[in-house]
Amino acid sequence: MHDPDAEDVAKAGRGDRAAAARLIARHAPKLLTVARRMVGGEAEDAVQEVFLRLWTHAARWQPGQAKFETWLYRVMLNQCYDRLRRRATQPLEAASDVADDTPPPDTGLDESIRAGEIAHALDGLPERQKAAILLCHFQERGNIEAAEIMGISVEALESLLARGRRTLRTRLAHLKDFAGDRS
Amino acid sequence: MNNGISDQDFTDRAVRRLPPAATPPGFEAALLAAYDAWAEARPQGWRAAWRAGLRRFADLVWPGVPAWAPVAAFAAALLVGIGLGTALPFAMDEDDIAFSLEQPVAFNLVSSDQPQEDL
Repeated sequence: MHDPDAEDVAKAGRGDRAAAARLIARHAPKLLTVARRMVGGEAEDAVQEVFLRLWTHAARWQPGQAKFETWLYRVMLNQCYDRLRRRATQPLEAASDVADDTPPPDTGLDESIRAGEIAHALDGLPERQKAAILLCHFQERGNIEAAEIMGISVEALESLLARGRRTLRTRLAHLKDFAGDRS
Repeated sequence: MNNGISDQDFTDRAVRRLPPAATPPGFEAALLAAYDAWAEARPQGWRAAWRAGLRRFADLVWPGVPAWAPVAAFAAALLVGIGLGTALPFAMDEDDIAFSLEQPVAFNLVSSDQPQEDL
């Protein structure tokens, strides 16, 4: 299995700044998108931490053991889980630290309300269901890859997805025009 | 399933409505600055290079174990080799060596249950 990142990881581990910049450009925006949905305002710190982990492991990275991107997302999810658990013990701080769902200025009011409701419903899911939904629906990853990232079996992932989808649908049932909208 | 679509399609549509998260300006630069700080702090010089080279060699010989394991295995093999190499010539009897030189070894390639006359 050819890993397109393996060479850059090895180079970055040896101090090659250009290789590090390529890895950042390739992965940071996507990681940040998922992290935002998982931990809201702490996303940037979480991604910073993921990349620090990456640099310290880069010199010892062994291609072939695992796909680099899978490893990277797993580290990111673990970061997010840690932060969510820490947040659970600090409910007052958590309340002010949700994802910023301010829509772009050209978005209509209805659409922005709807996006806010969807984000709120997603935030209310248990962390692993939310991660499964984000990986498979938001990032459009296959079940096998998402299961590898989460470190679970494909069957377990499908179970998480089924429960997450059902809950999400129940919570968004009041959006009457939404289900039939095929735009 | 309600409204004619599956939960999967419903979730797909819902998630697609979420606004895209833009990367804040300077975020990638901050990550690169953190890389620079790491690169500066990491051990450098010939000693670090030697260690890294040894580490890579150890991974090649015996992947996934600490560096001391292949080093210890190599050292043990070397000791056994040197030990045998120095002890073995004294252990061999001189008569045995002379005998082996005088008597060329003969191999009987024919199975013992075959008739010998045919040969």
